[in-house]
Amino acid sequence: MFNLRDKGAEIWESQGRVGRVAIAVGAIAIVAALPFMGGTFLNTPVADYESVLVYPIAMFVLMAIGLNIVIGKSGLLDLGYVAFFAIGAYTMGLLGTKTDLNTWEILPIGIAMAMFSGIILGVPALKLRGDYLAIITLGFGEIVRIVALNLGALGRSEGIQGIPTPPGIFGIEYAFDSHRIYYWTLLILILLAIWMVRRLSARRAGRAWESIRQDEDAAELLGVPTFKYKVWAFVLGASVGGAAGVIYASKTLFIAPDNFTLQISILILACVVFGGMGNIWGVILGAVILGYLPDRIRFLSDARLLVFGLVLVLMMNLRPDGILPRKKREKAIVKKDAS
Amino acid sequence: MSTSLIELKNVTMKFGGVTALGDVSFDVKEKEILGLIGPNGAGKTTVFNVITGVYQITSGEIIFDGKSLAGVKRYKITKRGVARTFQNIRLWGDMTALENVMTAADTHKKSGLVSGLFGFPISRREEKRDKARAQELLDFIGIGEYSDRLAKNLPYGVQRRLEIARAMGAEPKLLLLDEPAAGFNPAEKVELAATIRKIRDAGYTVLLIEHDMSLVMKVSDRVVVLDFGQKIADDSPRKVQDDPRVIEAYLGVPEDAS
Repeated sequence: MFNLRDKGAEIWESQGRVGRVAIAVGAIAIVAALPFMGGTFLNTPVADYESVLVYPIAMFVLMAIGLNIVIGKSGLLDLGYVAFFAIGAYTMGLLGTKTDLNTWEILPIGIAMAMFSGIILGVPALKLRGDYLAIITLGFGEIVRIVALNLGALGRSEGIQGIPTPPGIFGIEYAFDSHRIYYWTLLILILLAIWMVRRLSARRAGRAWESIRQDEDAAELLGVPTFKYKVWAFVLGASVGGAAGVIYASKTLFIAPDNFTLQISILILACVVFGGMGNIWGVILGAVILGYLPDRIRFLSDARLLVFGLVLVLMMNLRPDGILPRKKREKAIVKKDAS
Repeated sequence: MSTSLIELKNVTMKFGGVTALGDVSFDVKEKEILGLIGPNGAGKTTVFNVITGVYQITSGEIIFDGKSLAGVKRYKITKRGVARTFQNIRLWGDMTALENVMTAADTHKKSGLVSGLFGFPISRREEKRDKARAQELLDFIGIGEYSDRLAKNLPYGVQRRLEIARAMGAEPKLLLLDEPAAGFNPAEKVELAATIRKIRDAGYTVLLIEHDMSLVMKVSDRVVVLDFGQKIADDSPRKVQDDPRVIEAYLGVPEDAS
């Protein structure tokens, strides 16, 4: 079967430094220009196109990249990823309304809170594997939502209202309806996340995660401190989710426990699996499609979720590894005595 | 032959009512090739599993390099200098041969996640050095040309050898080989025997489990025989071969003997 991923990798590898920079800059420019393409076939019929770009699309992409570290790289099934998103959002909500801190100051705090809860969840949960881990994380996601639903300080079912927008930087002002500004902000975070994942994947940590995913016992017996790496994967995944949460809260200006249901965890998981577990470009593509599609086919009105489900089922049957599967091409064998 | 690198003292391993190892004691001397043989179910692989920390022993003591291994985490045992291969190949199939060896060296690395993220010089230097070392090991074991191939796509014999190279990647003092010749043809076995000797000559100590008698007898300096979890012989290959208890364990007793 035609392999889009390999084709892409081939083009990338055939380029020199200049070519690669050109491709990267070009790609970023096209993606950054997406808000201006609302008039084209890309337009979403009912929802505002630019707002769809921010949420769900860009937000899903960011979260999918984060979840991919946990599921795709290290093979740990996390069904409660929404918890970190919620923790980031509530950190923003609380600090944004109760203190003078602005979004940019809260962002690192929100990330730190999410990472910290990643440790709280990870240390006991990661002693377990497979199904058991999945169930614990599922429970964790629900606990966070239920705590938010019952804790007076978090506004119970009313949630938190009047969360401030980010203050302007470099003369760019954030209004709640200036979607493209939020979109570009998220784009920067996405680029940072991509950079982080690509850097780590190519080195020691990436190989350790990979070995854990493929055979954890063998990894441990050959000297990989598996527990440490699993907690790291959790914590890094959580940091990305937390960052997404902070921006989400200061975009919607209002958050409630209903925004953080299990459905989000499942959707992000679907993005990762649909796009191609373990391959960051696949995961991004998956998140774009799954974020965009329900709004694009909104003209089908009630049938759109049916079609959406059908696409998922078909896709998983035809390409179980996702649209852009995990890399694994081999270079040609170079025989030493080849003449 | 002088000091022991590893010493098992009265090691007993029980699973419920089953005694997999009963009061087994032996040692492996530095720079020695010790063959560990015995019929199926004798407890050979259990010996590997208790040394590497897969199982915690019921009683007894295992001393490695002067220190007890009791309660030490698995990856830390590897860090102290024990590495093993698996009887049923357990390579990381989706990684290249080179990556397999590089990953096993993880325990000895100093550069952390953060320096990897920002590409600090220590991380880059280490990466470069590990890569060179891994390639050296693959060359040493005779499969250097396969370094860029995915482990799962390698021919069976190469996978077996890669298991050894990967274990050596963990920079062990003691190398545990679990049936490295399983499924090999006679020519490959001869080659493997030479490789094992070469590994010893490079300064490693080898504990070898193997079913193929001719291979064990040829490469081992000393042979320990297990039967039903008991040690029944511990001697030079020649003497073990003539030991009536060993012959009995393998072939059974003639009916009129008792």
